[in-house]
Amino acid sequence: MSELSVNHLLGIKYLNEKDIQLIFETADHFKEVINRPIKKVPSLRDITIANLFFENSTRTKLSFELAEKRLSADVLNFSSAQSSVKKGETLIDTVNNILSMKVDMVVMRHPNPGAGVFLSKHVNASIVNAGDGAHEHPTQALLDSYSIRERLGDVAGKKVVIVGDILHSRVALSNIFALQLQGAEVMVCGPKTLIPRYIHELGVKVETDLRKALNWCDVANMLRVQNERMDISYFPSTREYTQQFGVNKELLNSLDKEIIIMHPGPINRGVEITSDVADSKQAIILDQVQNGVAVRMAVIYLLASKIKQ
Amino acid sequence: MNILIKSATIIDPQSEFHNTTQDILVENGVITKIESNLTNPGNYQEITLDNLHVSQGWFDSSVCFGEPGFEERDTIENGLKTAAASGFTAVAMNANTNPVIDCNADVTFAKAKAANQATSLLPVGALTVESKGVDLAELFDMNTAGAVAFYDYKKSISNPNLMKIALQYASNFNGLVFSFPQENKVVGHGVMNEHIISTKLGLKGIPALAEELQIVRDLFLLEYTGGKLHIPTISTQKSVELIREAKAKGLDVTCSVAIHNLYFTDEALTDFNTHFKVLPPLRTQTDCDALKAGLVDGTIDMVTSDHNPLDVEHKKVEFDHAAYGTIGLESAFGALQTLFNTEQTVKLLTQGKGRFGISEHSISVGNPLDATLFNPNTEYVFSKADMVSKSNNAIFENETLKGQVYGIIANNIIALK
Repeated sequence: MSELSVNHLLGIKYLNEKDIQLIFETADHFKEVINRPIKKVPSLRDITIANLFFENSTRTKLSFELAEKRLSADVLNFSSAQSSVKKGETLIDTVNNILSMKVDMVVMRHPNPGAGVFLSKHVNASIVNAGDGAHEHPTQALLDSYSIRERLGDVAGKKVVIVGDILHSRVALSNIFALQLQGAEVMVCGPKTLIPRYIHELGVKVETDLRKALNWCDVANMLRVQNERMDISYFPSTREYTQQFGVNKELLNSLDKEIIIMHPGPINRGVEITSDVADSKQAIILDQVQNGVAVRMAVIYLLASKIKQ
Repeated sequence: MNILIKSATIIDPQSEFHNTTQDILVENGVITKIESNLTNPGNYQEITLDNLHVSQGWFDSSVCFGEPGFEERDTIENGLKTAAASGFTAVAMNANTNPVIDCNADVTFAKAKAANQATSLLPVGALTVESKGVDLAELFDMNTAGAVAFYDYKKSISNPNLMKIALQYASNFNGLVFSFPQENKVVGHGVMNEHIISTKLGLKGIPALAEELQIVRDLFLLEYTGGKLHIPTISTQKSVELIREAKAKGLDVTCSVAIHNLYFTDEALTDFNTHFKVLPPLRTQTDCDALKAGLVDGTIDMVTSDHNPLDVEHKKVEFDHAAYGTIGLESAFGALQTLFNTEQTVKLLTQGKGRFGISEHSISVGNPLDATLFNPNTEYVFSKADMVSKSNNAIFENETLKGQVYGIIANNIIALK
């Protein structure tokens, strides 16, 4: 039986292409399951999973929790808006306290890049990174690619532009790694202040003209501007940002071809995309959300099967 | 103290015995004979060590020992023992203490704690009161007490007028002013070198620009004020170029580079290992090469271990929360020898002395013996067993280094491992 090459999901950069295909094939199966009248399988009745969210999250947390429950795992939720360090307890101590209650797997969102990698070296549990600072958000990238595959048949050879705040985005980085691994071409587009200076060295194209970018691509993944991560204003006003990097129906209709619009959510309607774009048939935003559950079920299932060995 | 050092290869271009193997007779701390085969005149302590090499004692211009205030990291006594075991006969200790060493009494305290040790402690006083970057500390009074320079450890002076005044004021008594090369506003929340690795890791970058802007500013100020400026721990290619130009203009500026900034690049951070979190950050291979070239052509005046013991609680945390710094005394020689030959290495470890007013004593008859004893040819993997510091935050742990230090003889004290 195929298995993942890793014991944790810390980032896309630690996976290989076979891992991604395995996750997608497993997700295909689970997508069928969650559309049955009885949406649940008993696969992980013997597994306990702790969801540790050290940063606010709505959809990722719900998606993981639902994925775990659909697999019949026992689920433990822990949320803290501030990092454990600020409370005086180290992250390792916090997690080890939880693990001592016999937990097998940790799904963690954390504000600091590399927190999952750090944890994986110091605690005895399988770690799933649900977003660590501006580093990676691997399950988001997996569900994004899965959704492209579902809509366009394949990811290889497709042109994907990621638009917006690339500098503060873990979604952008994980997407770049995932798309490249599967043979897609990637472009980033946004104001120069929000594009990392050396990102071209990852082999991605850089474009500051949104119209050119959209005309180039098959898929546009529109990111939210992460005001909460900014230490200075990287652009003068939301209005001016939208003038240059917002997608509206008029722009979409004026393109040479019909492109797919994605968004990892939450959407700021009227900023990065207008409502008529978000709700159009070109947008697959809600498909992404549904696929998120299936992809996360696949990831958890595959990692759990390694624990069981 | 009477000693007979047997069969030692002398590495000292200032000595007529440079690159020859000799016996060295030392009586009451002074070299009285250097010949190829000396007999023990009586019950002199004889030192015979495998492949023994002897050079003038080494100097480190930037170390931290924690005391007072951070004794859990290290103490002055153990710090000096670490320095001696690592081959250093003199170290300049930063005011990275609590309270900050910013007055005569604090300098006197540090010196008193350092009494009767083989390695000499040269206190560096803070440049501003409590290193807050607002008002000048009592520089003259600290200088009187024995402070050799003035430095707000790893804190840049953001107010250019304050730096101007500091340079002008210290020049009254020929004082040496340090300026940490970092423009804080450009650093922002950066934690590692801004480049492709920081992009891949999602860690905020510290652009080389942050260092270079501050150096440009300080060189302009120095040109205006006169005085003596030392720029500690530069890390970028352009910084080397800027200082090279300033020296060509005749400005009285010196600079140092941390050994780990020569040895490692930012690729070492790929695994988020906090032992590699240092300030200035590890840069690129281009920078490492430029720094090495700068040392060879004399643009960079000295190397430093930038030794900073930190307890495990400051390192075993998420990367963003980890403190900057590494211990470095114990690995300094072995790491340098992987980059330079033995004679160059010894030169780099001794040539900063003049800037800090330390007398240089060549290995010659009539001079006091102030020497480092070492074997340049062994290779070993640097491990916890090699660390003398109280803290184990070593960037060089698990690296294969070349050359081991036996210890020092200085201040009429033998300190051999």
